[in-house]
Amino acid sequence: MNRLSFESNITQRIYDDYMRRVEKNTSLLSAADCNELIMEINSHIHEGTIQSKDMNKDGVLLDILERLGPPEEFLKPLVARKKLNQAVTTFKPSHIFQALRLNLTNGFIYSIFGLLYLFLGSFLLLILAKIISPSHTGLFYTNGEFGGFGFVRETTGQVEVLGYWIIPISMAVAFILYVCITLILRLKTHK
Amino acid sequence: MYCYVFCVTFAAMNEEFIPKWKSQVKKGILSLVVLRVLSKGECYGYELIEEIRKYTMIDIAEGTLYPLLIRLKEDNLVTSKWVEQTSGIPRKYYCLTEEGIASLKEMKSYWDSLNNSIQKMNDNE
Repeated sequence: MNRLSFESNITQRIYDDYMRRVEKNTSLLSAADCNELIMEINSHIHEGTIQSKDMNKDGVLLDILERLGPPEEFLKPLVARKKLNQAVTTFKPSHIFQALRLNLTNGFIYSIFGLLYLFLGSFLLLILAKIISPSHTGLFYTNGEFGGFGFVRETTGQVEVLGYWIIPISMAVAFILYVCITLILRLKTHK
Repeated sequence: MYCYVFCVTFAAMNEEFIPKWKSQVKKGILSLVVLRVLSKGECYGYELIEEIRKYTMIDIAEGTLYPLLIRLKEDNLVTSKWVEQTSGIPRKYYCLTEEGIASLKEMKSYWDSLNNSIQKMNDNE
């Protein structure tokens, strides 16, 4: 991308600072989306400065940037939306986490999705618990009746029936839940 | 005394309510305005803002236009293309898609019916 250059050192610094803020606020997006947005804002600033008849370029630039608004504000909903699209297309957990974090204030539904992913995370914790404390983790029965599932503190008189099978089972459940929750999130995003 | 307090409170409420309402109306019709401008021909972002300013009294916060354009693009109502310029800074031109033309027609008709209904209410007053 061709950066704009201004005669005045102060104008150049104002422009550079603004573009740095734009870059910082779009850094979570894919390289293509990020580049597209930066180019568009750069083009907007360029058109504004060349089409203004005012010779005071400091003032012109400040006016353009003021009308655009702080990048932290006007880019926020845009980045949140683009990140969500990227997350549900790529299925990458890091993108999902970032997308939910950015969209938490955009509706109660995203908090629900956050809780669902947290529930999914509990199955991964179960795997860790089984490795650290095998005798207290699993599916427990007491005299042929269900006694508990997960991490159980008091296991006297209880029989654990899954053994280390709980690890692949938990992994499978976590995977299925991840795919299902992400597919529902995708449906919601593309609705 | 009570009447004075009531009037002052009511006036303060209106001071808050009216700007909020105006902002919501502007937000709501911005997509219609953007599509309407684009129906006259393709435009780049800055040009689009200037056109909106020329034809309407909407003082658009320019930063809000780009998220809207991206949303319209995602909804397949507009397309965009980069066009190289001699300055070395390309322009991104937006134009309406077939779906955008059809949606604009529907939006205009809804807006007209809404406008007529309000006009009828005003006439009956």
